[in-house]
This record gives sequence, C-alpha cells and structure tokens, in this order.
Amino acid sequence: MDIKDRVLVVEDDKSIRNFFRTVLEANNYDVIMAGTGTEAYSLITSRCPDVVILDLGLPDMDGMKILKNVREWSGMPIIVVSARTYEKDKVEALDLGADDYITKPFGTSELLARIRTAIRHARAACLAPEGIQTGIFRSGEMVIDYDKHRVYIDGRDAGLTQNEYKIVSLLGKYAGKVLTYDFIIKEIWGPNMRTDNRILRVNMANIRRKIEKNPAQPEYLFTEVGVGYRIVDPD
Amino acid sequence: MAGNDTLPTGKRENMKKGQELRKNILITAGILGIAALIAFFLQQFVSTDTHVPLLFVLAVLFVSRYTEGYVYGIAASVMAVIGVNYIFTYPYFEINFALTGYSLTFIAMLAVSVSVSTLTTQIKQQELIRLEAEKEKMRGNLLRAVSHDIRTPLTSIVGSASGILDNENVLARERMLELIKDIKDEAQWLVRIVENLLSVTRINGENAHINTDDEIVEEIVGSAVVKFRKRFPETEIKTVMPQEVLMVPMDGILIEQVIVNLLENSVLHGKTASLIQIVVSSEPGRLFVAVEDDGEGIRENILPVIFDGNLQSREGEEYDSGRNMGIGLSVCMSIVKAHKGDMKAENRSEGGARVMFWLPMEENNGY
Repeated sequence: MDIKDRVLVVEDDKSIRNFFRTVLEANNYDVIMAGTGTEAYSLITSRCPDVVILDLGLPDMDGMKILKNVREWSGMPIIVVSARTYEKDKVEALDLGADDYITKPFGTSELLARIRTAIRHARAACLAPEGIQTGIFRSGEMVIDYDKHRVYIDGRDAGLTQNEYKIVSLLGKYAGKVLTYDFIIKEIWGPNMRTDNRILRVNMANIRRKIEKNPAQPEYLFTEVGVGYRIVDPD
Repeated sequence: MAGNDTLPTGKRENMKKGQELRKNILITAGILGIAALIAFFLQQFVSTDTHVPLLFVLAVLFVSRYTEGYVYGIAASVMAVIGVNYIFTYPYFEINFALTGYSLTFIAMLAVSVSVSTLTTQIKQQELIRLEAEKEKMRGNLLRAVSHDIRTPLTSIVGSASGILDNENVLARERMLELIKDIKDEAQWLVRIVENLLSVTRINGENAHINTDDEIVEEIVGSAVVKFRKRFPETEIKTVMPQEVLMVPMDGILIEQVIVNLLENSVLHGKTASLIQIVVSSEPGRLFVAVEDDGEGIRENILPVIFDGNLQSREGEEYDSGRNMGIGLSVCMSIVKAHKGDMKAENRSEGGARVMFWLPMEENNGY
C-alpha cells in the first residue's frame, strides 16, 4: 500500500467541501475536513497533515488568525483560499507565511497544481537547509547556475548584474510561488530599504529584457499584478 | 509618487486637505498682492484714489471665484477694506473709519464676495449632480445588461443539472457529458460577469476615484495575456511594445481587466478572428493600447453605441447571440474614464476590429 499525502481542508460551505473531497480523493490524497477554526486547529496539531487548504472566511474566526498561530511553530505548507479579491489580502496572507493563494472560483487543475507545488516546496526545504543553494535550476531554455552565480538563456550568459542575479535566484529558490514585492525587497536590499517598490520594478523590467524573448509575453518570469512576482516551475 | 502609495488613506486625505488649504491661501494672498501692486503703481501716476476700491472689488471677485467656499472671499474683503483704508486713502498709513462712503465700500465688497462665492459653489454642486446623474445612468445600464446576462447562463445551468438528475438512467453517457460541459461553460460565463462587476466596485463611489500606482505597462499586458491564454489557448496573440520601459500610473488590476475584456471580445465577437494583436505605443503624456483582430469587425450601426452597455436591448436579434459584449465594453469604458483616459472602437481598413484606449501619463517617462 502506498502512503498518501494527507490534505486538511478547512472550509465551511457544504458543496465546496463536497467538491474538495471528490476531487482530492480521486487524485489519491487522504482528505480530512474541518468546518470551523477550532476544529482545524485541533486537527492540525493531532493529525499532522502534509498540506492545509485554508478558507479565510470561517464561521468562528478569521482564517488569518489560524495562519498566524500555525506559523509560530510549524512551516507546514498552507494554501489559502479566499473569495476576497483585493490584492492586499493576498499580500497579507503571503507575508504572514501562506505558501500560496488561490482565489474562488478556481478549477480543479489549478487546485491540484498548487497542492503539488506546495508539497514539493516543503520537501525541498527539508532537504536543503535555509540559505544554501547549489546546483542548477532549469526550465525550458533558461538555466540558473547557483554555483557560478550566472543565468543562461539559450546557452548564452544573460549578463545579469549582481542584484538582478540575486532577484532571479531568489525567485528560483521559491519556484512556482508568488513572492511579494516587500519580501523580495527585504531579501535583496535588506530590511532598512524604504518600501518603495519602484527600484525592484525597474530591475525586473531589465531582467525581463535580458531573459524573455518578448517582455510582454513572458515565458519564465510572471507578474501577479499588485502582489508580486513568480518564476516558472522547473522542468 | 510611488512613495505616497504606502501612506494610509487617512493620512493621505489629511495631506490633501492641507494642500488645499495652502493652495487657497496662496491664491488669496497672490491676488490681493497683485491688486496692491497695481494700486501702488497707479498711485505714482494718478492723483485721484477712486480706482483703488474698484481694483480691490475686482480682486475680491477673483478670490471668491478661484477659492473653495466663502471664507477666503470674506477674509479678502475684510483685508481689502482695511488695506485700502490704511494704505491707499488719505490720510495714508492711518486707519480712519470716518471716511465718507467707507461703510458703503465695505458692504459692496462683502456683497460681491458672498454672491460670487455662492455662484461658484452652486456651479460646483451642479457639476456634482450632473456627474452623479451620469453615474446613475451608467449603473442602470449595467444592471439591466447584467440581469439579462446572468439569467441566460443560469437558466442553462439549472436546466442541464436537473436534466441530468431527472433522467439519470435514460441519458446516454455522451449526452450527459455534453450537459455537464455546458454547465461548466456557463458557470465560467458567470465568473467573467462577476469579475467585471467586481471591477466596477473598485471604482470608488463619489467621484469615480481609483487608487493608482506606477505600473510597468509590459507587466500588465503580460499578465492579461497569461490570463487570456488560460481560457483560450488556441488563439494566437502578438504584442507590439516600445523598447523602453513605460511606467504609467494606473490601477493595474482594472487595466488588466480592460485588456482581458478586449481580448475576449475579439474572440467571442470577432468570430473568425485567428490573430489578435496588442499594440502599445506612447506619445508625450499619453499611453495608447490597441487590441486589433482579423475577425468579422463591428457592424457599422452599433459602432456609435458600442460603449453604452445596453447594446443588446436595442438589438432585437443580437439579444441572445451576442451576450456580454455590452457589459464588457461599458465596464472598460468606465474604468478608462476613471483613469481620465478615453476609448475608441473602429473597423480596420484591412478587415477586423480595433478597440483602443489611452491613459494619461507623465511627460518624461522612460528608464
């Protein structure tokens, strides 16, 4: 018997629970359900799910509170689901430590892809301790060589500057995940940088000109408008 | 600019108020100063003083016209009266309330200031009422279009779902899958409509205010293309962009929605469209974005009303086939208008449609 990944779904709406259960079980996940925040919290501590899908609108508490609580002691992957459409909610959830954010309504393929990415990240983080990054990231024609601090496109050196390389390698480290502007700025320029994302935006525009064939139809570096940036999943 | 974006709204509001106060005071002081200068200048050449009060009445009139509310006009008239008395009437540099006609001058100035301020305020209020009425009309159009647009897919969803439930044993598998696919497609229609409605709610009530940030144009276009590709993977999109990095103040989510709407319209209403082109260009102070397709084009008779939002209700037979065209474009128009830009739709001479919009931006742009 193979070991299934266990998914905890925290959601109070009956038909959406139904949908989650059907889709996830059909895709070979072990599904547990929680309808309230308290229930969710006790299941997280007792059943140790591999990934949590957390709806922010719960009857007994704000989902953000659970997120904050869990992050105090665990780095388990949490995907936040919300009907809230304002980007600042997404930014808040991501900055509080959510691994990903998915907005209702979403399709099954999108949901499954997010779950896979989140689990893969958690596993990778276990294998490679924080901060050390070696080897090679490859996606299509783009290669990030972490040892040489170089990015190659079509086999040629893209000629990134120091900061540009730092940004790309940071995105590569969290491939598939959206990184907020603030997060990237803090990682690259340090915590004392004024929270003006203009400098980051201009840097990104320059990176795109060096990496993408057509900056307006990106293949590798994607913009999540109002939230941040994401690099493509590795091959 | 970008630094301001991080300020909380309350603080920003206060700042705006402070700025307004400063501006009004500056205007008042400036106009009175100019009047005093002219009076002083004339004094050197003309022996009588009769022009002085007239000059200041004129100054008070201008102050009342170009400042907000009554306060500045009244303050200006008080200052003008005292100033005229003190500096420009004999005995010079002495306050003398016993002058003949003095009270009359004062009352005249006050009257001018109050009535001009009232007029100015009234004009501003009328402008507000007109804007409000226009928005009401837009909202009404939108609601009409939406209620129809929502009812049709809902009918199909309810019908298909109960069809499957009621006839579970009779229906062939393919038939059933077809119905389920319909349900999914129609639900996706609804998602699109809701997205558009949400966009409208982002444009704040009062004076169609939006929160703008400096956005890099290629990021917005790129993100719109990615979203569109998810829904219509087969349609080819070409983008033509200027080489320089363009930073334009906008609500990125809304402009992205505009571009997605235009792209979807090209596919859904251009019918035969196989290639869609997004052409971005700029001239000093303006950013242009055009979405062009090689489809059927837009019928000449609907071109003039295409942004009105109630297209379908006017076009009998289009009512069912051409849904969502109206709401999509009228939402686009209100978004672009809220950015103080404008939109235009036309047929290309080589066939197909071109819908374009422009947004204001700073003159010196480029990094």
